[in-house]
Amino acid sequence: MAPQTDPAAHDDLTADLVEESYRAHLAMMFRVAIRKFGIRPAEAEPLVHDVFATFMMHSDGVRNVTAYLIGAMCNACRQYLRQSTAENALFCGEEPCLATAEDGLIEEIHRKETLRRVLRRTGARCRDLLHRYYIEGQSTSDIAAAYETTPGTIQVFLHNCRERARKACGGERS
Amino acid sequence: MRHPAEADLLLYAFDPAASDRRAEIEEHLPSCGACRQTVESERFDDLLRDPFVWGDAASPAMESSLRARAAEIAREDAEAELLLGGLTPAAAAWTRRFRNRRNHTGGVVRWLTRRAHAICESRPLDALTYADQAAYVAESLRDDRYVAGAVFELRGTAWKERANALRLLGRFDAAHEALDRAAEAYSRLRHSGRGHAAVDFIRAAVLFEQQRQDEAALLAERAERAFAHLGLDDDRMRAIFLRANIRYEQGQLFAATAAFHEVLAWGEALKSAYWTGVGALGLGNCYIDRGEVGEASFHFRRALVLFTELHMESVCIKSQWGMGRVLLALGSHTDALLRLHEVAAGFERLGMVTDAALVGLDIADGLLTSGRTREIIPLASHVFDVFRQAGMLTGALAAVAYLKEAAAAGTLTPKGVDSVRRFLRRAERQPDLLFAPPAP
Repeated sequence: MAPQTDPAAHDDLTADLVEESYRAHLAMMFRVAIRKFGIRPAEAEPLVHDVFATFMMHSDGVRNVTAYLIGAMCNACRQYLRQSTAENALFCGEEPCLATAEDGLIEEIHRKETLRRVLRRTGARCRDLLHRYYIEGQSTSDIAAAYETTPGTIQVFLHNCRERARKACGGERS
Repeated sequence: MRHPAEADLLLYAFDPAASDRRAEIEEHLPSCGACRQTVESERFDDLLRDPFVWGDAASPAMESSLRARAAEIAREDAEAELLLGGLTPAAAAWTRRFRNRRNHTGGVVRWLTRRAHAICESRPLDALTYADQAAYVAESLRDDRYVAGAVFELRGTAWKERANALRLLGRFDAAHEALDRAAEAYSRLRHSGRGHAAVDFIRAAVLFEQQRQDEAALLAERAERAFAHLGLDDDRMRAIFLRANIRYEQGQLFAATAAFHEVLAWGEALKSAYWTGVGALGLGNCYIDRGEVGEASFHFRRALVLFTELHMESVCIKSQWGMGRVLLALGSHTDALLRLHEVAAGFERLGMVTDAALVGLDIADGLLTSGRTREIIPLASHVFDVFRQAGMLTGALAAVAYLKEAAAAGTLTPKGVDSVRRFLRRAERQPDLLFAPPAP
């Protein structure tokens, strides 16, 4: 008698595991393509997508996910840049590998992951202020106008939100 | 205290490697809280400017595509389990389930290839049945059935499993053909993942069995580097173990020793009794062939203890075989022959008749050295009977018959024993080989 499984339950579990790996490594994969191989973000995205989609099919056999995804991105980037055919792109031959995650990169990825988690928990107003300032590039005057307040008040808010996030990151990492 | 210029600190914070004042700044920072804060603050601002931390990096289309793909894999796997769970290899060969195209999914291919992989070493014929069905289903899928060319990954894996089963069945030409199909499928992917490396590894193993050791060594090393590149340490260690065995077969004992030491160190680091044991067993064989009996004895004993704990009978007996060879090398012929007879009986009990015969050849060596050549005749007769009962083919029987006749005629030499030994080792995986007696 075959074991009865609930497809929906399996569905959720696998999707959660994949989501976790995806979140944890996405930045690193883009970084390998963009910073190490000079590939433009729009062109890097299909590579990241395919490397990750292939990884999903045999993720259970991969113990060191970070190392695998870096190596696979290196292969994909070289293949994309026509530096190598698929069969000869098994490894780059560089010692160390061009895409090897030096300690600094790994550290940076961890810092980003920590901040991502912190920002998810940050209150809506702080998130919005920080996003406007750091991502959308709005000036404190623009933000003040949107919030119908003064630029000075926004500067104080921004300072407080930023410090709160920084301390939360320090707390998480320690 | 002289502080670095702010511009230098900011450049350092952004990219330490790009700063030509890096050494100076790194010497200064530990003793200056103010500069340290400037660097940390700038780095934090840099992080906040990174879209990744806001979850905005990848396009929603990519995220939803991957999420949908993950869900699709999970759903298909669960459906395949419901459809095929408990399916025996015999049933897999005849079931009509694979004729229904609605059942042609990636989940079914994965179910079959996983089963094939799991039983390949112990039941290669059954694994071949699963792999054949997997290849059939995978080939019937449309090329664009899944995103990211995933159909090619499925096909590559199915052919790879078929090749591995064929290798273990000694059908080497068919194994090479299956590997060609696997490589062709993997080449259609946007990047080389584990697939091509696995193809190289299995092809190296096939070439090893075919005694094409130079070609095998090249591919094993390529696979080893590719696995290392992908951080697949378990696979890399299998490739190193294969390389060690290739070097041993080539008689490159120092290279083999170095590679087996890597395997041993890996096993110790992982606290894996199995990998430590196989490393120790390989080292024992290398050292005994190098004439370093003390080292050999140490490693054989260690392997024996580990395999005994693991209840792995066949490798336990192989370790005892090594101990018998140690006694033989030390000149303790009586003790050695006693132990080797026990080892041969152990192999026969497990149906490992070629290994039993190879132990018989070590016994023949011992008897020759101690001038008891006549005792080789009943020994060879026994091996001949064991081979015949096991259905061994002409070549192996001819080799053992030669051993018996040469012993009876008093013309048997250590070189003659060695030629039979080398032949039997090859004939185990190449049953069509014919034995040619050594020139007198």
